Amino acid sequence: MTENRLVYLYCVTNEEPNLTETEDLVDDLCFFYHRGLYAVTSKVKESKFGEEGLKKNMADIEWVKANASTHEKIIEQVMANADVIPFKFGTLFNTDDSLRAMLEEYSEEFKTILRKLENKQEWGVKIYGDTDKLKESVINNESEILKIEGEIKSSPPGKAFFLEKKKTELLAQEVNRKINEYSQESFHLLEELSFEACINKLLPKEVTEREDNMVLNSAFLVGKNEVGDFINMVDTLKMHYENKEFFIDCTGPWPPYNFCGLLKQRVRNA
Amino acid sequence: MHNVVTKSRDVTLLEVLDRVLDKGVVISGDAVISVADVDLIYLGLKVLLSSVETMEQSRGAPITGPMQEPT
Repeated sequence: MTENRLVYLYCVTNEEPNLTETEDLVDDLCFFYHRGLYAVTSKVKESKFGEEGLKKNMADIEWVKANASTHEKIIEQVMANADVIPFKFGTLFNTDDSLRAMLEEYSEEFKTILRKLENKQEWGVKIYGDTDKLKESVINNESEILKIEGEIKSSPPGKAFFLEKKKTELLAQEVNRKINEYSQESFHLLEELSFEACINKLLPKEVTEREDNMVLNSAFLVGKNEVGDFINMVDTLKMHYENKEFFIDCTGPWPPYNFCGLLKQRVRNA
Repeated sequence: MHNVVTKSRDVTLLEVLDRVLDKGVVISGDAVISVADVDLIYLGLKVLLSSVETMEQSRGAPITGPMQEPT
């Protein structure tokens, strides 16, 4: 007896996808047509993607890396020729019928989202700040802190202790102020060149594996004709920050993961 | 297509994981399995914590999708 298969959904688009280059990535990659929409799917083994199997596999980082990359590659391939609504990793249906029912229920909304996404791309901008170097530059450039340092040297130990504490607080405040100022300024300048923008959770160092701290994790929905201006602005900001201990990482174009929220959800959250 | 910058091949896996595990449309409804609330949290040995659950089998069950999060 052959193993039961589930339907894995990658993305939905309104143009017939060309899947020739992605056929090698997964078995049975195919699209599913319903009411003017194409759902790009593959058949996956229940032992790997069923509730039990997925639970086990999601704890295996190598499995997650490989399969998340495949998910992304397939959507990128479809995105090369069409606007796409990307689904989250691991969206599975028991049967073609349950997928069809979902498409039936959301077809109008998917079409609305696809119209919104037309001729636009998602770009990601992450900004990192080197807190240690920022502290150094603050110490050397802020007159108030320099003044306190002078006072500490000429003060008796008791007073010096409290001055030292005050200095640490001022330093932390000033570093935070700089981080907020730069990240907000960058976000707003880029937001002005975008249709939509959003700010996401900051990722900790354990995840980024970088020495410096993530201070902004943002995404922008940019018109294809405005991408040049957007990149120019990123370059301008990069130059502006070069000696200020900030690093900007801009990536794209991405499938619009951050900009295809469903209306029902927005109403629910309103 | 305006290809001023093509995506560099060395886009880190982190960038991919940050999106595909956390963003994208999430549908819940009739007989749908979905990976829920994956946090990109690594423990000492780089174990990715995650949870997987079967969505409630009710029509019009809560739908969550990308949304703005507090920093």
